[in-house]
Amino acid sequence: MKASPITDLNQDYKAKYGFHDPEEYIHKAPKGLSHEVVEMISRYKQEPDWMRRFRHEALDIFLAKPMPKWGNQELLGSIDFDNIHYYLKPQGEQASSWDDVPENIKRTFDRLGVPEAERKFLAGVTAQYESEVVYHSIREDLAKQNVLFTDMDSGLREHPEIVRKYFATIIPPTDNKFAALNSAVWSGGSFIYVPPHTKVEIPLQAYFRINAENMGQFERTLIIADEGSSVHYIEGCTAPVYSSDSLHSAVVELIALDSAHIRYTTIQNWSTNVFNLVTKRAYAHKDAVVEWVDGNLGSKLTMKYPAIYLMGERAHGEVLSVAFAGDGQHQDAGAKMIHAAPNTTSRIISKSISKGEGRSSYRGLVKVAKGAENCKTSVECDALLIGEKARSDTFPTMEIAEDDVKVEHEARVSKLAEEQLFYLQSRGLDIDQARLMIVNGFIEPFVRELPMEYAVELNRLIELEMEGSIG
Amino acid sequence: MADQALLSSPGKPVVSEKDIRTLAEVLHEPPDVSESRRECLSAYQSADWPDRVQHLWRYTDPRRVMPEQLKPDQLMPSQRMPSSASQIEQAKDLLPQEGPAVLITPNMKPEVNASAREAGVVLESLSEAREDLAQLGQAVRTDHGLFEALNGAAWNAGLLVKIPRGKLLAEPLRVLIPAMASTNLPRLLVVVEDGASATVVEEHVGGNAGTHSIGVSELFVGTAAQLRHVIVQQWGAGVVGHLTTRTHLERDAQLFTVLASFGGSVVKLDLGAALTGEGAQSEFMGVALGEGRQHFDHHTEHRHIAGHTWSNLDFKVALTGRSRSVYTGLIRIEENAPGSEAYQENRNLMLSEKCRADTIPELEILTDEVSCSHGATVAPVDPEQLFYLASRSISGPDALRLVVRGYLENTLRRIPAGLRDGIESLVTERLTRLVGEH
Repeated sequence: MKASPITDLNQDYKAKYGFHDPEEYIHKAPKGLSHEVVEMISRYKQEPDWMRRFRHEALDIFLAKPMPKWGNQELLGSIDFDNIHYYLKPQGEQASSWDDVPENIKRTFDRLGVPEAERKFLAGVTAQYESEVVYHSIREDLAKQNVLFTDMDSGLREHPEIVRKYFATIIPPTDNKFAALNSAVWSGGSFIYVPPHTKVEIPLQAYFRINAENMGQFERTLIIADEGSSVHYIEGCTAPVYSSDSLHSAVVELIALDSAHIRYTTIQNWSTNVFNLVTKRAYAHKDAVVEWVDGNLGSKLTMKYPAIYLMGERAHGEVLSVAFAGDGQHQDAGAKMIHAAPNTTSRIISKSISKGEGRSSYRGLVKVAKGAENCKTSVECDALLIGEKARSDTFPTMEIAEDDVKVEHEARVSKLAEEQLFYLQSRGLDIDQARLMIVNGFIEPFVRELPMEYAVELNRLIELEMEGSIG
Repeated sequence: MADQALLSSPGKPVVSEKDIRTLAEVLHEPPDVSESRRECLSAYQSADWPDRVQHLWRYTDPRRVMPEQLKPDQLMPSQRMPSSASQIEQAKDLLPQEGPAVLITPNMKPEVNASAREAGVVLESLSEAREDLAQLGQAVRTDHGLFEALNGAAWNAGLLVKIPRGKLLAEPLRVLIPAMASTNLPRLLVVVEDGASATVVEEHVGGNAGTHSIGVSELFVGTAAQLRHVIVQQWGAGVVGHLTTRTHLERDAQLFTVLASFGGSVVKLDLGAALTGEGAQSEFMGVALGEGRQHFDHHTEHRHIAGHTWSNLDFKVALTGRSRSVYTGLIRIEENAPGSEAYQENRNLMLSEKCRADTIPELEILTDEVSCSHGATVAPVDPEQLFYLASRSISGPDALRLVVRGYLENTLRRIPAGLRDGIESLVTERLTRLVGEH
């Protein structure tokens, strides 16, 4: 059978998310990065002195650190740090009622369906536009339970003692060049604190939107689930399609204290001119559970390896990820599990689809420290290739310094199976339907873990992608 | 300029053009061989230390593998005598096959047995070869890496093995490579011409604390030819060794590689095959057993360059004491290699509390018409197996030996019949030593 041309994922991206508003900003930092820009951001936000110094130190670290020598060197080398606006403040103050959001921004999020989603199933929403959070709400019952859910800047202002205690303790600026960059110029992001033994039943959501060209978005998220509590947080991201690139470099820190449970779901659907270079890391203390559910559909280059440090006995970590790489995209994603305590368990399931000239890479680390006895960990990577120029890489790393452990890794790479297509066609499905069904089956373990609205949206995206694929 | 190069790579031993010229003169080399040395020397001189960010050198410091210095007299063959003749004799007896071994030593006069001579097998010192050496440096090129460039510039004991077109050689050819001097730079070139078939057993033996060996082996398997390549690494305790092998496979060629890696103190092996012709097949079965403070770093590569090629790799490691194993294994399927299949498995058995295993299996797949998988595991001995054996009144070292033997069995069983016995007895001997320590 001749390979049939398949249209790209997000072929309607331009119509759906690719619009951009006329730029109306109260404050737009000049392009380029300097101590002056950092000083300006900090002053503008009226931050405490420790944060101002933290930013300046982080900038020095960023400037001193070389670019990573691994990964997609060609794309990484094309980032022009001097051609980026590091801070953009949109019009208006943060609103807690949808009606108060400035009209042009409201239109944006209306088009993206955010308020609708909130009405339907969310316990709280944060919407970030460029550098600042423009809309924020939380359901009353959660507020009564003393669940804190704000944007990070408000978190710093209103709960300085909690922020200072945990901020940058999981990901210090020295961790990597992009974490240092974020630490220097961060703005927005979510701050969540769940008090002991409090269960947040409905997901909390944040929505991130880049509007301007050559914009850098550096949100900073910190989630603390106190003893025995649980929370599910979801984020989505989009940006318009411009001819030159934007940079998104977030830092996300999760802290699950004893017996707490955090699930963090991301559906990243940046336009294909966004560099998405993100550091995400969680600490899971005794009996805690942390789960990253990570979908990477958009962006030009994503480098993202959600990590879980299993710090206390019997902690459990899971990463479940799906990557979709179409033409011109490189999804360099993966996961890290650090077993630092005995009887900890973890599981990584990674699925990737490379289509046309797309490239997806799994890069992972499983580390068992000396003394972390009786750990169990398994890694499973599945890659599906559609098109003879599609590319898939698998680079798992296993560092095992303890003998009493069970470590398993498995990876498979294959093309859309002819036998399966043939079987489905023999049952009366046309080739489009057959392909769609196989792809849906392939990512089913991921979709199953999403809230229904997200699952529906993802299925629709995949459907669009597979449409008209017959040649 | 020279100072700058030294600054950027502190500690890289200096080798001068004069040293290489003298070496070439002493060995009476033809000019084209000397030319290839010069190219490698300039690559060596301009090369930096390997990048530790890359997986290949992530867990082994290249400075630990390189000799501190290379004085001119260390490079000259005339200065080199067997450190222990009995050691070499002993090594010769390790494989039970009949027939004499060929020694790669600087002053060797290679001899072949009667049947091989009749078949027209060529065995020559690389420096004195009358045969065409066009393939020298074609499988392991000057830009391969620092250690390979050093060998290419300064190898001082080389052997050419050539199996003429269509000849089927039943008896294995044993090539013994003893580490006799403080720094050894052996080189092996094997050419199996179209339609020929042969078995080459490459044995690295000898040496002790203070011995370095940096070897390169290039192997070429012609159209529809077959090569069984056995690599036995039994360096003495204390040896720091680096060995790179690359095999090129033409259309429908078949390669079967067996690795038994046991000896040395710091050992880095980089073993690879390039499937350059359609229908080529490569299978690799490897076993490494570590004890004491041994540091093993094994890298394997299967590069599928042509379509409809097939590879399978199974590498098993068992570790005792404070030994450490690093494994990085690459499967790469190039854009123009549709219809290829590649499989890889690495298992690590942890027999002591202080051992350590790092494993990075890698897949790089550049086209869609493929089937690939890899798997890796790290685990201790299954207590249920020990329990079962105990219920049959087998316990202690005997039980452990049985379990390890069982663990290796699937791999050993795939080794071709004529070679299996030899490797199995090597493994048995090694296991008795390893598990007897407990």
